[in-house]
Amino acid sequence: MGRYLLRRILQVIPVVLGTTLLIYALVFALPGDPVTAMFGGKPVNQAVAAQIRAEYNLDKPFIVQWLIFLKNSLTFDFGNTFAGQPVIDVVGRAFPVTIKLGLMAFVFEGIFGVIFGIISGLNKGKWYDTVILVLSLLLISVPTFVTGFVMQYFFGVKWHILPVTVSANPGFLDLLMPAMVLGSVSMASIIRLSRTEITSNIAEDYVRTARAKGMSNSSVTVRHILRNSLIPVVTYLGADLGALMGGAMISERIFNIQGVGNTLYQAILRGEGTLVVSIVTIMVLIFVVCSLFVDLLYAVLDPRIRYA
Amino acid sequence: MKKKALAIAAAACAAAMLLSGCGSSSNNNASAESNIITVNGCEPAKPLVPSNTVETCGGDPISEMFSNLVRFDDKGNAQNEVAESITANDDMTQYTIKLKDWKFSDGTTVKAENFTKAWSWAANAKNAQLGSSFFNVIKGYDDLQKSGLKGDEQLSGLKVVDDKTFTVDLNEPSSTFPILVGYAAFAPLADSFFKDPKAFGNKPVTNGPYTFQSWDHNQFIKLLKNKDYKGTATVNNDGLTFKVYTDTEAAYKDVQAGNLDAMDTVAQSAIKTFKTDSSVQAVESAGSVLQYFIFPADMQYFAQGDKAGLLRRQAISMAVNRQQIIDKIGNGTNTPAVDFTAPVIPGYSDSLKGNEYLKYNKEKAKAAWDEANKISPIPSDYVFKISYNADGGGKDTYDAIANSIKNTLGINAEATPIPTFSEFNNTIEKRQIKNAFRQAWQPDYPSPDSYLKSLYSSGAADGNGSNNGDYKNAKFDSLLSQAASAKTTDEANKYFQQAEEQLLADMPSVPLWYANAKGVAAKGVKNFKMNWQNVPIYEELSKK
Repeated sequence: MGRYLLRRILQVIPVVLGTTLLIYALVFALPGDPVTAMFGGKPVNQAVAAQIRAEYNLDKPFIVQWLIFLKNSLTFDFGNTFAGQPVIDVVGRAFPVTIKLGLMAFVFEGIFGVIFGIISGLNKGKWYDTVILVLSLLLISVPTFVTGFVMQYFFGVKWHILPVTVSANPGFLDLLMPAMVLGSVSMASIIRLSRTEITSNIAEDYVRTARAKGMSNSSVTVRHILRNSLIPVVTYLGADLGALMGGAMISERIFNIQGVGNTLYQAILRGEGTLVVSIVTIMVLIFVVCSLFVDLLYAVLDPRIRYA
Repeated sequence: MKKKALAIAAAACAAAMLLSGCGSSSNNNASAESNIITVNGCEPAKPLVPSNTVETCGGDPISEMFSNLVRFDDKGNAQNEVAESITANDDMTQYTIKLKDWKFSDGTTVKAENFTKAWSWAANAKNAQLGSSFFNVIKGYDDLQKSGLKGDEQLSGLKVVDDKTFTVDLNEPSSTFPILVGYAAFAPLADSFFKDPKAFGNKPVTNGPYTFQSWDHNQFIKLLKNKDYKGTATVNNDGLTFKVYTDTEAAYKDVQAGNLDAMDTVAQSAIKTFKTDSSVQAVESAGSVLQYFIFPADMQYFAQGDKAGLLRRQAISMAVNRQQIIDKIGNGTNTPAVDFTAPVIPGYSDSLKGNEYLKYNKEKAKAAWDEANKISPIPSDYVFKISYNADGGGKDTYDAIANSIKNTLGINAEATPIPTFSEFNNTIEKRQIKNAFRQAWQPDYPSPDSYLKSLYSSGAADGNGSNNGDYKNAKFDSLLSQAASAKTTDEANKYFQQAEEQLLADMPSVPLWYANAKGVAAKGVKNFKMNWQNVPIYEELSKK
């Protein structure tokens, strides 16, 4: 287990080096000159433009820019944004909000997805199974921004039940609607997934054996059916936690949340290499940690899986 | 054992997730009693230093916090603000400026030195200010663009006479200088700025209608009414809060719900409905932004100085059915252009000689095109192209323009997109576009000068300014310099109108329409109207 952990953690190093290099290359390849764009259509003073290029190392080849970034990041110096703020401050403001939002969406989709999936799966063919089926198909097929705009209009603008947009230092109520919108598609997928797993596991030999041994119904359901059915759900949830961070952008735009998605989007528009790379690197790290956590969780759910 | 530990860790983790979501809910209606106005804003691209701010995110708060020598009223006329008087010498090359007795928000007096040092600092290339080129009219500017500067060298054209008086020597005569100094970059800076410019940018010392209260990055910029303000602006509220929105759709919904008092634009989804939307107050009026497209001066078959080229340029202009395109695609929220400036700019005229070339006329367009072909025929497979940037939502409009040209003249015409604005600008800068291309202009100060000199003078051509078509005409240039040496604004405007008539005779570009200024305010907000810059007059808004 220890060796396995160490190996997985060491794998992070080439992943981070590779992603930062790739992102730097992509930002560098973006058409247009970020310094000219700063002048916003006003006459460009070349002497000033040269000063700014030198300040942000934009006059150097991208490999050199990348090496400078790596060197500085060893001392936790990620440089400044074009607006003159330390990158670390910008990242530090954006991530807590998105993590909060992502985790709320995660909890929402996990709890409701599994509950509805179980209800559906254990009661196949009943009327509420059909209702859940139709609703989940609807959520999967309607794009997130449509769900978002519709909910925002009715709950926010029309009925004044929930805040229309999110204020600074958002609390639980502020983020409730965005989190539901963000988690809705995954919730529907989890309902489908757990329902299918449960219906197929009910018919398994070991379930029949357990019943034949005279185990109580609840004990069969919880210990044999649900436990086995949840393995693919956990995989899905683990992979989804990272995707929620990245996919938060649509929710963030609709509800005006100043999180990672919005910050990243604007950094790309401005061609701010260091900011883009810093944000993406952190997202990669979150993704790596989440998938490691999921892999470890398998062992808990399925005793056949062992890590040497 | 290990399994159990992991399970506990997982449970703890889930609990933490839930808790992190349950922070305190913030309060939205704290300011119900006070008369603080909240408007939509965006995160400034630079610290709040006037000469380094060339975009509206920082520009809007800055123009509410700083008072220059002059301030523009709603109509765009310059009124003396900090200046007691601005007097020119006979040939308009030297100005003597006397100041009123004003104070900065830190209690220090606004002295002549606060202007001269601020302007020199802004012009000095070492300080890398984005607005530095606005100071190129002042003598000594070129000396401050060399390498090896320390950053505190002064413009040689600025001389302090006493605490309340200074003189400005210009490189050439300019009657518009007293208007130019109303542009944000010309704000005075308090002594504390020069000690620590960085700290100032996060917490500016101001002298305008509002003082700085706080800047919560990516969330709010809060300003408070300056009780000692004695300038020309009327301040009807107790403070202004610029709330950061990354999407106008979200801001519009907040206005509808009454959470946001006013916004300076309208969400794309509401363009058709905002004027009839009963949950908001709407404002729409002709604005100062001019949309046009330009012919490069050496464009094949359309070149300047060539009779056939001129006829073809006129034919293209008369082939664009502006009103129809505005009605069908712009939802009627633009006004067809009849000149090269805009209706809200002092000096505008709707009766310039030759402005019939800016009106749709199928017969005349066709006749001019055929006449050009008699002089020098154009190949029958010629395709007239207009390039535009695809990220600004121009597709429908430019396709319609191309179709209008196609149908009127019976030639092939197409709109060719370039993916992003930034890439589009780069290709223009490198002069790589050999066909017509889209342009838009928002003036920096309310004078025809801000359009004509920036966009069509020889001095702004060849990459030295925004004359992206490299149009050059000595007669036009001399009319501009006559306007520059004029004694009064009215006299100057006469020369500007003659210069515009020269443009109508040469057609270096095709003015399309003035973008209407559009905005919405929540119910119950009073005095909601737009200024010459298409921005609501924030200081006059009130909830009482």
